[in-house]
Amino acid sequence: MRLTAIYIFITSIFTAFSTVFASAPINLQRLDAPQVSQQVIDRVLSLGQLGTASLMLALGIIIYALIAGVLGITRRNAQLQTSARYAAVATFLALSTAMMCMEAALLTDDFTVQYVAQHSSVPAPLWVKVVMLWGALEGSILLWAWILSLYTAILAMNTPNHALRPWALNIMQFVQLFFVLVLAFVANPFTLNASGLFVGPGPNSLLQNHWMMAIHPILMYLGFVGLTVPFAFAMAALITKRPGSEWMRLTRRWTLMGWGFLTAAIIAGGWWSYEVLGWGGFWAWDPVENVSFMPWLTATAFIHGIQVQERRRMLKSWNMMLIVLTFTLSILGTFLTRSGVLSSIHAFGDGPVGIFFLIFFLLVLFASLGLVVMRWDQVRDHSELDAVVSRESSYLLGNVLFLAMTFMILLGTLFPLIVELFSGEKVTVGAPFFNQMSVPIFLAIFLLMGIGPLLPWRKAEHQSVIRNLLWMCGVGIIAAAIAYVLGIRRVYPLITIAISGYNIASLGLLISAAVVPRARLSKRNSLQVFRQYAFENRRRFGSMIVHLGVIVTALGIMGASAYRIDEQVKVDFGTSTQFRSYELRAIDMFEEQVPGRGTVGANVEVWQNNRKIDTLRPRINVFVHDGVTQQQPVPTADVLYRVQHDVYLTLSGSLSRDQAFVILRVVQSPLVMWIWIGGFIMAFGTLYCVIPSASERKQERLAMQGSPTNSGNTIS
Amino acid sequence: MKKLIYSVAAVAILAAAGFMIYQALNTSLVYFILPNEYANDPNNYKNKRLRLGGLVEDGSVDFNTNDLKLYFKISDSIKSYPVTHTGAPPDLFKENTGVVVEGRFQDGVFVSDNLLIKHTEVYEAPEDGKINVEALKESLE
Repeated sequence: MRLTAIYIFITSIFTAFSTVFASAPINLQRLDAPQVSQQVIDRVLSLGQLGTASLMLALGIIIYALIAGVLGITRRNAQLQTSARYAAVATFLALSTAMMCMEAALLTDDFTVQYVAQHSSVPAPLWVKVVMLWGALEGSILLWAWILSLYTAILAMNTPNHALRPWALNIMQFVQLFFVLVLAFVANPFTLNASGLFVGPGPNSLLQNHWMMAIHPILMYLGFVGLTVPFAFAMAALITKRPGSEWMRLTRRWTLMGWGFLTAAIIAGGWWSYEVLGWGGFWAWDPVENVSFMPWLTATAFIHGIQVQERRRMLKSWNMMLIVLTFTLSILGTFLTRSGVLSSIHAFGDGPVGIFFLIFFLLVLFASLGLVVMRWDQVRDHSELDAVVSRESSYLLGNVLFLAMTFMILLGTLFPLIVELFSGEKVTVGAPFFNQMSVPIFLAIFLLMGIGPLLPWRKAEHQSVIRNLLWMCGVGIIAAAIAYVLGIRRVYPLITIAISGYNIASLGLLISAAVVPRARLSKRNSLQVFRQYAFENRRRFGSMIVHLGVIVTALGIMGASAYRIDEQVKVDFGTSTQFRSYELRAIDMFEEQVPGRGTVGANVEVWQNNRKIDTLRPRINVFVHDGVTQQQPVPTADVLYRVQHDVYLTLSGSLSRDQAFVILRVVQSPLVMWIWIGGFIMAFGTLYCVIPSASERKQERLAMQGSPTNSGNTIS
Repeated sequence: MKKLIYSVAAVAILAAAGFMIYQALNTSLVYFILPNEYANDPNNYKNKRLRLGGLVEDGSVDFNTNDLKLYFKISDSIKSYPVTHTGAPPDLFKENTGVVVEGRFQDGVFVSDNLLIKHTEVYEAPEDGKINVEALKESLE
């Protein structure tokens, strides 16, 4: 009780301090722009100061939580530990206040806050103002910190009382400490607008141009933060010398959810790039894309690695290193893209933030790898692979391939830096490098993805392996033969199609191996048995759904990259031109003026076999920030989404009123839609794994009540 | 014995991977240079994919709306080269704008497949007609 009182005392001191600090008068005389409403000027309590105060409050609580957390453990004081847990909730509340301050400032166009003055604008639509919170550097770190505090609070309140919990919470708090320190002292989004002028360029037009930008960063941070949870528990397991499988079991859902969000974020990013960047592509091996892809690769390896550990007590140190890599790569990525060391289309530009992320990255990397080394005796594997052909060896090989891929991308991303350091020449590593390297690795991974789940643990019977492989290869060859007859002649697409057929056969074999014997035993019809199997073995069946999504995405990527057609055509208004099987009729041009945005575009009808399919309206948007033309005009594509291929139109060059023609860039990407559909299937499959089945729920209820069940071995 | 086989296999795989990476890197490096850097050492950049930066030279722009070919000269005030690009000039493409074109030199003409407009102020008002080449490169990067 006494400790709770101390805690309340400290928080109230912070609150009092922040209130005094926040209500200090501010000089608004120089804000002479008419756009600032009287309401903002009359504000006694500046949102900027209130925001900074809540950041300081959060900082104080985090420091308290860390001290209480560590003391609670060393002194075995349960009250201190409880207090630290409640402090996690308090941190969340303080950061929520900061978020609300920022949203309020954005929505009321409070240009006394520099972030708002720089990145928002009065005429911007409501949704742009709302999402501008994470549209630029400082705000996006605030969002990251807030999600982190949300997860920490949920963990603090929801994790069963377990020996790992106190340390895991301390690690989460430590990560939070870093983010809030950066927010408070390096990249404070609530810095007051000292000059009082509208200094900034307003919202980035590329972000303003598509709603996808509203969700992509959130998904990304939900993913990164989700994967921080297993990292925290892994470190807790090392510190407390309990490096068994408990930490993985406790965080299984967090891991899967983090992975699912990251997957969705990457796919959403590709879709945004497709719709917004005007070149009709979805992935350019741009540094920003690469740094989000690397943690995804290591996380994917991790998800497979922990299954080997749960089943075979192997790969302990390997899994530790994978989760350390996953977490640190997400920090490294932030350093690379936010520090200006790498130029990229969507890098956030230079800033002082980068170096702190680099320091944090090195600190975490060395500390956690050091911890692994210190506990080497405990995490070392004692058992060896029983056979080369077994589930675990296929997972291990897959893991190695995922790591090779990560290394290759890291090398390609950093190589320009290395070259510039040694020769002073400025180079970029082109997409061909990444394609040449990643396509074979991915095809090899897909081969393993098909056979791996069919192999039993420990040692496979050669006969059944060969029978399965015959089936799979047979289906694969038939698929490739059909594709060949349909006119596909290029090698990689044929291989991709063959491997997809092989994988579909593998999924069929997996399901039939599960369903047929059960149906025979119970004498029920196999559809019923299948339904029961799918509902009860959520984890296994969910993984099949995810693998199906992977195949669908792979086919989409294959079609859209190998058979992409990209042409420029000139069409006079009132006439038409032929593009492949389509007829493009340029009808007329249109203009639109809304507050904050001017648009010119062309109405283009798409006809096929004398039937009108759609009218596309490719256009050029010019976003206006406070009466001045802002940034570059953004050519905005309009896309005809079709199952077999998209027709993607952008205006090439400028379009003016006296122009009698329009120049169109037409991109036809076969199967591109299936990339997004595959991504959706992957996200759904992940969700399917995460939602517990009825029997799992029952077990968890028992576990929460503290009865000693050995849940880990039965949930599978 | 088992260990030996494993280590030999590991070395072989690593060597193969290293060779593949080297090959792939070698063929896909794209150098970012200005016209004068190319003029100094054209052999070094022979048959290599380049990102060539510079300003659109005054009076050099010609866009043919029939075959959609864009011709202009790219210059860094020391040296200039003709560029052909397929496709319409982007909205802000004007004389004296900073541009970066991506492609290869073919018989002294730069054939571009990607044209980017770069906006900076470094070169907008050269005082004595001379441009600070290093600042130009920095700003186009």
